[in-house]
Amino acid sequence: MVTLDERPQLIDALSALRDRVAAVRLPLPLPDTPRARQTRAELLAQLDDYLVPRLKDPDAPLLAVVGGSTGAGKSTLVNSLVGRRVSESGVLRPTTRTPVLVCHPEDHHWFAGMRVLPQLTRVWLPQADEDHPADEATPEENALRVETAASVPRGLALLDAPDIDSLVVENRLLAAELICAADIWVMVTTASRYADAVPWHLLRTAKEYDATLVTVLDRVPHQVIGEVSRQFEALLDKAGLGDVPRFTVPELPESADGGSGLLPDSAVAALRGWLAHRAEDPAARQQAADRTATGVIDSLDARLPELAAAVAAQYAAAGRLGGAVETAYGEQGKRVREQLGRGAVLAGDARTRWRGYPRDSTADELLDALTESLAALLHCAVSAAEERVRDAWRREPAADALGPLRTGGDRDTGERIGVEVRRWRRVLEELAEEEVRGVERPSTSRTAAPEADTVAALLAAALLGGRRTRAAGERLAELLGAQAALRLRDKGGELVLSYVDRVLHAERDRRLAPLEALDVTPEPQAELIAALSVLQKEK
Amino acid sequence: MADGRDHDRDRALDHQNPDRDRERWDDGLIARRASERAAATVAVGGDVRPGGGDLPEEDTLPPLGGSYGGPLRTRLDALHELVGLSRTRVESEALAEAGRVLDEAAARQRLSSRHTVIAIAGATGSGKSTLFNALAGVPVSETGLRRPTTSAPIALSWSEGAAGLLDRLAVPSRLRRRPLAGGAADTELQGLVLIDLPDHDSAVTAHRDQVDRVLGLVDAVIWVVDPEKYADAALHERYLRPLAGHAEVTFVVLNQIDRLGTEAADLVLDDLRRLLDEDGMALGEHGEPGATVLSVSALTGEGVSELREMVAGFVQERTAPERRLAADVDAAAARLRPAYLADGRPGLDERARDAFTDRLAAAVGAQAAGEAAERVWRRGAIRACGTPWLRLYRWYERLRAHGSTDPRLTSPVEEELTARQRVEQAVRAVADEASRGLPAPWAQAVREAATRGAEGLPEALDELTVTIGDPAARPPRPAWWPAAVLAQVVMTFLQIFGAVWLVGQIVGVVEPGLLPPVLVMLGGIVGGPLVEWACEGAVKGPARRYGQEAERRLREAAAACGRARVLDPVAAELMRYREVREQYATVAGARASARIVGGLRSGTSRLGATRAGVRGR
Repeated sequence: MVTLDERPQLIDALSALRDRVAAVRLPLPLPDTPRARQTRAELLAQLDDYLVPRLKDPDAPLLAVVGGSTGAGKSTLVNSLVGRRVSESGVLRPTTRTPVLVCHPEDHHWFAGMRVLPQLTRVWLPQADEDHPADEATPEENALRVETAASVPRGLALLDAPDIDSLVVENRLLAAELICAADIWVMVTTASRYADAVPWHLLRTAKEYDATLVTVLDRVPHQVIGEVSRQFEALLDKAGLGDVPRFTVPELPESADGGSGLLPDSAVAALRGWLAHRAEDPAARQQAADRTATGVIDSLDARLPELAAAVAAQYAAAGRLGGAVETAYGEQGKRVREQLGRGAVLAGDARTRWRGYPRDSTADELLDALTESLAALLHCAVSAAEERVRDAWRREPAADALGPLRTGGDRDTGERIGVEVRRWRRVLEELAEEEVRGVERPSTSRTAAPEADTVAALLAAALLGGRRTRAAGERLAELLGAQAALRLRDKGGELVLSYVDRVLHAERDRRLAPLEALDVTPEPQAELIAALSVLQKEK
Repeated sequence: MADGRDHDRDRALDHQNPDRDRERWDDGLIARRASERAAATVAVGGDVRPGGGDLPEEDTLPPLGGSYGGPLRTRLDALHELVGLSRTRVESEALAEAGRVLDEAAARQRLSSRHTVIAIAGATGSGKSTLFNALAGVPVSETGLRRPTTSAPIALSWSEGAAGLLDRLAVPSRLRRRPLAGGAADTELQGLVLIDLPDHDSAVTAHRDQVDRVLGLVDAVIWVVDPEKYADAALHERYLRPLAGHAEVTFVVLNQIDRLGTEAADLVLDDLRRLLDEDGMALGEHGEPGATVLSVSALTGEGVSELREMVAGFVQERTAPERRLAADVDAAAARLRPAYLADGRPGLDERARDAFTDRLAAAVGAQAAGEAAERVWRRGAIRACGTPWLRLYRWYERLRAHGSTDPRLTSPVEEELTARQRVEQAVRAVADEASRGLPAPWAQAVREAATRGAEGLPEALDELTVTIGDPAARPPRPAWWPAAVLAQVVMTFLQIFGAVWLVGQIVGVVEPGLLPPVLVMLGGIVGGPLVEWACEGAVKGPARRYGQEAERRLREAAAACGRARVLDPVAAELMRYREVREQYATVAGARASARIVGGLRSGTSRLGATRAGVRGR
């Protein structure tokens, strides 16, 4: 049991946990990501808005949040409890768009600051007179109106939340967030709504968190008050919520007709009394606050692992995405090597040039054709890899976060590869030149000194042509001597492979870049679990 | 819809037929074929429409509504055809929905067209059953405070012959009721079958399942909302938004206005209209087709007679089943849209085809082959016209070198003459180009067609290279060639003659005279290279032509091969897609676009009204 005495270690553990939760990022759109994002937001909201402030300031006023379906009469109820129109009520749904917090004037400082609900900006309205509250100024996003009323008991604040089932999605989210910040959950339903599915979700959540809960059955026509409340009680019993305090408010013209007034005091006296008792009696207050706080801390045991699992799922998805890329490029790398060994580059133009060399084509032409053919081979490999990646990623919903995929005939890729292959050619030519310069002419040789470009072309043909160009190797040996030719071929072979790898790796890295930019790591999962276990020790 | 119209215009351009715009789908080749085929499938496809043997239904049953045989019929047929054409291409989920629509349409058509089935749906406690009873005039359905009250649909039919319809709704016979005196008193409601549904939002989820099931089968729906619940997310997000297309067969009734003052009731009704508008539901005001919105109090009877009149008018029109089906088809079409329409114009343009040809030509090495052919030819020509002495020397050279640098003599029989990677890349590029702007399933189909076609392509190209592209094949000779050879022979003869003459003089057989034989011999010696040189110049042009011709032949052969194996299947697939898209355009119909425009217009006016209302408040 958590007692609300000062517990620095517990607060430290919770703060650490909060930072871990805040650090969780869920960038990949997996099927359960929206849920995990919501879990994260709720956890943050509960830790920031409720748990940490509550534990830091056990003496702060209790916050009772009035929540319920649209049209359940929440605002009317709050107004009646306060005895003054603080929250706008009306027939048009949704009525309350900006949540209103009412507290005793002396408690005002607790809520004026950013102690609770720090993400909501405080709005103050000019004091309205009894009958005509100031029109709500431009409804601001993320605003919280703080009102004071002396009729509210000290140590208690009432918060009128938007509808939990509002058509306006932001309202729904805000309502959930506000309810999470409550010490006391006041669930308002009506005679025609008590069997609706949505309020029951809320009730079940309350039960799950073991929050201090009150239900108000509102707008019950006089003549059926007994039967309806009996049935509602039966439903609560069935849901295991039989011990929850229930209050029934009859439907009165005041609550129905355009918000012309407040409910008579007698209608809400019981509820007010109960709430006042929580606020004023230290034991009851302690119990109400403790129960909710304990419930929330206990619920972390289940919710944090869920978040951690989502983080793990993100990491796994990122791993799958990256793995698909690695596999595709790895396969293509293997295929390129195999093709090089087979001499696939020596086909088409290159083959014709080789066949015509040296009678019908020059060394330069042969080298050109081979270079181009090598570039085509690499472009084809990259395109095939991209296609594989595209197919694999299409099955991954997470890939949506990484932007559109290139198609096979991408021109930029071709240009990049072309640049790289031309660079290879230059290096090869330099290599050949060096070799030619350094070659010692045997005086007996009947041939003249070999030309550099001839050597380069023969070398390229020997390297890329596989078995078909054995003649090139022989000729090279003839020109340079067997030793030098072998050395040159070794160097050249390394050069080819290093450039092939360079091209494929560069393209692979380009493909992986957006994924790496998301920086999905497994650490947050471990950190979350670690922070949770620290918290469990402190409990 | 823009695509559909666009397409129409294309066809009009294709055929240069001015009538095309007026008669959209009745005279095009594809449309005609489609309707024939649809008729055939309908007649054969007993599995799709159970009991399809007794078709056409129009003969045995009175047609549903006046124009039922018209646009809706065409659209249903087109949808049928569409489902058949794309079963192997489009994933089944969206198609199953379309198939369901077809089944429902067939089922509804077989049943009574004199009846209109209207369901009353709404949240718990909105007063569905009370309104039901008010319309019936007798307490038929149990009303109560206990929530939820009604747990199974109850049917009330004003005239005989609705048993088949109720069987379809699976309403048990103990829940089938008749109004007072069998409903004979309400002549204007003859043909109405009213269904009271359970709630859709209570914690009892079985109710929701029942509502969902029945809502898919009825002809029209009366949504009952109350001042407390009219803005429920459960109602708007789960039902009204998805069913926005069914506006014409939707009534939205704000019940329990007795709980509000008159002014408040008007405000709420206005707000309800605004919400419906935001849901995308067209509102039937100013004579435009759309949902009917009105306020009643089932308890006090206020507004009930008005509702009754509207329902009566609606029932007597007898168009509800047709409108509902049309809306269903609209919804199915909207759901199928991503599978059939995408932005961009699909198809292979000339540029893509040329690029493909270029790539294939590069793969077989057409350019190099052409140049090689040119050079071989030129060399041959020069050799043929060269002086014999030079030829002798070259032959000797070659003999000495063992031909080691002539790969033709040493290279083994080669495989993979064509650059595989280039062919692969060419096919990939053309498939990408063709599938750009296609919806995903069809893009996939196009890619598959291209890949399948490319399977034997490199081997076929290899063959071509051997048969056509061999530069060593014996080239044709120009007409002047014999003359050149003759001249060269004459020159050689002159040399020999001069030499013989000179030798004769030396031996003394012939009269001495140094100058003539020397001149003859010199003439031969100078003339030989001269002829060779002249030939070399003259051969350039023909050689280039020959080379270009060789390149062109190889290129064209490769292109023809690629066209037959890849481009044609791809084009066929695209054609198939176009056909399907036309079917889709028929399914989507012209109505949809009109409806959208109308909806927008009414939407803006509605919003203005709401704003005014808010200001008034």
